[in-house]
Amino acid sequence: MTHTRRTRAAIVAGQILLAAFVLLPFFWMFSVSLKPPSEPFAIPARLWPEDPTLSNYVTAFRPEFRTYFLNSLIVSAASVTICVTLALLAAYAFSRGALIALTALMGMVVLAQMFPHSAIIIPIYKMMRSADLLDTKIALIIAYVSVTLPVAIWMLRGFLVKLPVALEEAAAIDGAHPLRLFWEIVVPLARPGIIATAVYVLIVTWQEFLFALSFTSSKAERTLPVGLNDFIGQYGIRYGELMASSVMVSAPVIAVFFFLQRYFVAGLTAGAVKG
Amino acid sequence: MTRRDQWLLWLFLAPTLLLMGVFLYYPMIGTVWESLHQSSFISPDPEFVGAQIYSRVLDDPDFGTILANSLVWTVGVVALQNVLGFAAAMLLNQGLPMQGVLRALVLMPFILPGVVTAILWRFMYDPQLGLVNSLMIRTGLVEDSAAWLADPGTAMAAVIFVAVWKGFPFSMLIYLAALQNVDESQLEAATLDGAGPVRKLFDVVLPAIRHVVLVNIVLTLILTFNYFDIVWVLTRGGPQDSTHIFPTKIYETGFGQFQFGEAATYGVMSILVLAVLVALYVIVERGTSRRRPEA
Repeated sequence: MTHTRRTRAAIVAGQILLAAFVLLPFFWMFSVSLKPPSEPFAIPARLWPEDPTLSNYVTAFRPEFRTYFLNSLIVSAASVTICVTLALLAAYAFSRGALIALTALMGMVVLAQMFPHSAIIIPIYKMMRSADLLDTKIALIIAYVSVTLPVAIWMLRGFLVKLPVALEEAAAIDGAHPLRLFWEIVVPLARPGIIATAVYVLIVTWQEFLFALSFTSSKAERTLPVGLNDFIGQYGIRYGELMASSVMVSAPVIAVFFFLQRYFVAGLTAGAVKG
Repeated sequence: MTRRDQWLLWLFLAPTLLLMGVFLYYPMIGTVWESLHQSSFISPDPEFVGAQIYSRVLDDPDFGTILANSLVWTVGVVALQNVLGFAAAMLLNQGLPMQGVLRALVLMPFILPGVVTAILWRFMYDPQLGLVNSLMIRTGLVEDSAAWLADPGTAMAAVIFVAVWKGFPFSMLIYLAALQNVDESQLEAATLDGAGPVRKLFDVVLPAIRHVVLVNIVLTLILTFNYFDIVWVLTRGGPQDSTHIFPTKIYETGFGQFQFGEAATYGVMSILVLAVLVALYVIVERGTSRRRPEA
């Protein structure tokens, strides 16, 4: 597209404004996390600390924080692995099977992704209570896999229907076992879709708050979002530490996202745009 | 897959169907069951009470407040998020340098965990220490610092603003993808016909991505209506219930007061309200598209 000088200047100005709107809070979070407790950030605040220090990070990385971090890591890693595996199997069945029952079931998958978590949480809570799973990571993993499955299946199915079936047919004629065919042909070809789905599940589970808040009660089992929410009460006024914790909570997902955003963006937009 | 492999297909589906059945569809029915049974912390055995809880909830003035708040919240966030998301997509689809980097940077709020977003903005809104007041005073927009989240008159707007900040990159992403499908030659033809940018937007671009706009609005409508983390961490539904929406009310009633019957009733009502909202939007959208046939 070509632009006259004036429209070009207007667009660039708009882009700068947009970037400032998005990035200023991030910059502020980072800047305050580096401020020594002695340096005030009251109005009129300095945007960048005079004497940046990592001391807030050292203080914020307390034993509780490490426990929450480890819990989040375990819960997210398990949820991503299980959800993507199950979703890939289901998506494969949905994309290759030709039964009418499958169309109906896919409709049920799409419908399920609209269920409000707050509306289904009480029966799930009661089930976990009966199974004696409250305040365990297993309860969170089960809940997270269940609620992320519909979108994961939808993303992967959108990906699998675009793969050429010819390769699979050729291998089937050669007498390859369907399971081998799935493992050696479909899985490698679906890699970009698998990565995109895994990033989606990670983003959702890493920040999930409602289930974690309702199902966990002990410090030993809580995940980062709940732990961070607890910090507000405990260390409310010490914003430097709170911001340092926030940076440490966000950094892993932001890093993963920047490495894999190509896959994620393609995977997420394919379904919605194609409809 | 051949007919012989049919069993394999069901084997692949089995774990998913089991999980979705037990942890999504059964709880959906379970919520309706809960809403018809009374139990409390003191007498935990549920007892069938019919529509009693419904009539109690509907008679409670709180219900009207929650409903009104939920509507303001949902319509506000969805409208602003989609307008801003579309504008951002247009700005970052002009083929100027740095576009790729900017697109990735603008997506950052979308990745930022909800609780972190809320804590960051609590701080941004802080009357004494926050950047919002500091910037507004410096630019002369306000004279005195205000407690945006503590004032029932401004709390909802402040919370909506945060949700839009976090949510608009998602809409932008979908619109950016859609804009790649707009026919360049049609745009050029419109330019040759002397159409300005506004006319090109309404006559070429928007009709071409109409379907995506519909999907995007329905999607954000559902997500926004069911939002919990940002609202809860920012305000806990306060001050004076001015930001209490269905999900925060359900959590508070269910897990704060352990009144499962009331919470489930709010849950069922929230699904009904959401269904009506989505249906209304789709009907209105269909109606306008019939009146204005696509070129």
